Amino acid sequence: MTIVYSLRGVVKERLIDGVGFRLLVPKIQIRAEENIALIGHSGCGKSTLLDMLALVLRPDQSEDMSLHPVKGDNHDIAELWRRNRFSELSQIRKQHIGYVLQSGGLLPYLTVRENIELPRRLLKLPDDDSITSISKVLGISRQLDKLPGLLSAGERQRAAFARALSHRPSILIADEPTASLDPITAHKIMAVVMEVIRGLKITLITASHDWAHVYKMELRTLKQEAMAVEDGRVYQSTFSD
Amino acid sequence: MSQFNNIIRLSFRDYSHEWRMSGCFILALASVLAPMMILFGLKFGIVTTMVAELVENPSNREIKPVGSGRYDDAWIDRMRNRDDVAFIIPRTRSLAATIQLKSTSAKRILSTELLATASGDPLLAGSSRLPQNYFEVILSKSAADKLEVKVGEEIDASLARQFHGKRERVHLPLEVIGIAGAGVISRNVAFVNLDLLIASEQFKDGRAVPELGWRGDSENLGQRIYPSFRLYARSIYDVAGLVDELESEGSRVKANVAEISTVQSIDQNLSVIFWIIACVGATGFAFSLGASLWANVDRKRKDLSVLRLVGFKSGRIVLFPVLQSCYTALLGWLLAVLVYLVFEYLINFFLAPKLNLDRTLCFLLVEHFLWALCLTVVIAVSAAILGGLRAARIQPSDGLRDL
Repeated sequence: MTIVYSLRGVVKERLIDGVGFRLLVPKIQIRAEENIALIGHSGCGKSTLLDMLALVLRPDQSEDMSLHPVKGDNHDIAELWRRNRFSELSQIRKQHIGYVLQSGGLLPYLTVRENIELPRRLLKLPDDDSITSISKVLGISRQLDKLPGLLSAGERQRAAFARALSHRPSILIADEPTASLDPITAHKIMAVVMEVIRGLKITLITASHDWAHVYKMELRTLKQEAMAVEDGRVYQSTFSD
Repeated sequence: MSQFNNIIRLSFRDYSHEWRMSGCFILALASVLAPMMILFGLKFGIVTTMVAELVENPSNREIKPVGSGRYDDAWIDRMRNRDDVAFIIPRTRSLAATIQLKSTSAKRILSTELLATASGDPLLAGSSRLPQNYFEVILSKSAADKLEVKVGEEIDASLARQFHGKRERVHLPLEVIGIAGAGVISRNVAFVNLDLLIASEQFKDGRAVPELGWRGDSENLGQRIYPSFRLYARSIYDVAGLVDELESEGSRVKANVAEISTVQSIDQNLSVIFWIIACVGATGFAFSLGASLWANVDRKRKDLSVLRLVGFKSGRIVLFPVLQSCYTALLGWLLAVLVYLVFEYLINFFLAPKLNLDRTLCFLLVEHFLWALCLTVVIAVSAAILGGLRAARIQPSDGLRDL
């Protein structure tokens, strides 16, 4: 299968709450339409890796960091960071990457519909029924005209997924998207999201700190691959039953 | 839709969504701006009406010679050509500048002062016609009332003299071409062409005036010398300088210098007081708004990070707090204008009459409101740019974990 993202020799050093932290990515490769689970305990660097993959965090070192969102469209991300090409990085992020945060990250002053439409507006994509259809699939079509503050936590996460998917990105990154939900709601949401992702042929990278949860609720049913972050180092391995 | 339009829309949506916080910013701005506007309105109203009263009354711009001097035509012309002189015309000796007027309607003969006039005379600024020859006159209101004449009527003017031991009197028909307004001059005055004023003096001095058929001595006295003049400065601010200069030339003159300098002093002192208060207020406002916006960027860190995450560029993110600051400036200014207008009404209609002031005590011109708006926007935007630059430096990843 085609490789959409490859990283080699990527290093990021951060100071979190006064404590130095170093993350090393020796080598990882992410294939198209693959579902990657990024597993590790809290504070191990999962979010740091996700932010770098989402092009919102600059790596300190990188031998190779290449993104191939669609066939024939290759981006040397490491070089773009080195040359401070922020505008291009922003454009790539806007076009090819969807990001779902633990709390959703919806803008509180826009309605759910406007939140979902925002990435499409920025890309100047024509209005079509994609907002309606994705909202329907995710079960939030009746909440479109409400402000996020009026939604339940589960509805907010569904809306966040809808926004991240509305412009049909090649890669969807989700940072512990169900961490604040109860297990049943989390399972329901992830099941729907996986269905949508499969339909849209999107690569998913999701982080979780709960091995058991990943194993039971997600990986096992979806037969994904896993990456583990431990002692500041990222390991990639195929997950198996 | 461009990113720029999107950021305008989003910043306004956020601003209206957080209406309580926005309302506090607007109130904070208006509470500084409105008192400054009222203060300036009072300063401007008081000084402007005082200055206007001085300017409107030409006598405040008049510089009067004290006693007799010697002024020739060349000197008069030189003064006339100065930028700070609005009008100058010679005067003859007082005794020679008196004429007796009689009308058919009034029984009395009115002894009237003759004043020469010409184009640009501030005392006759409202007159459509000015005396162009020996036979035209503009009467002061007082003289016209006593003679019971109207514009267009003819009156008889006569001059008397002792000539070679005999008393002589000459008569001259004058057409009344105008009547000066009541406020212009309170004395009995006949405004005439300079030629008639000179002819009157010549006749009284026993000399002939061939143009009018008045007989007398015909010796040539050489260059004409005037003992006095009627001079008006261009503005009240030119009076003091002209007085100094005339006195340095040896002329003794008097003018309303003290009153003018009092108004100028009030203007300057009030301006200083106003600007001190305005500067302190504006500085306080700039710091207060700057601090608020600085804190606001911190508060909105996560939202701004999300905007960066969905693809907004740094330059556009700077606009977010800057635009919100513009909304505050505009709405705060509007509120301040409304508050000012209410107080302007209260001051002018309730306070001014109590102070026995027959004039507007507080008012501002349209340009003052626009200046206030410009200054407010500049201060608000300058303060907001600090916050905006801080917002732009926020890495998209920085605020995401705050969510």
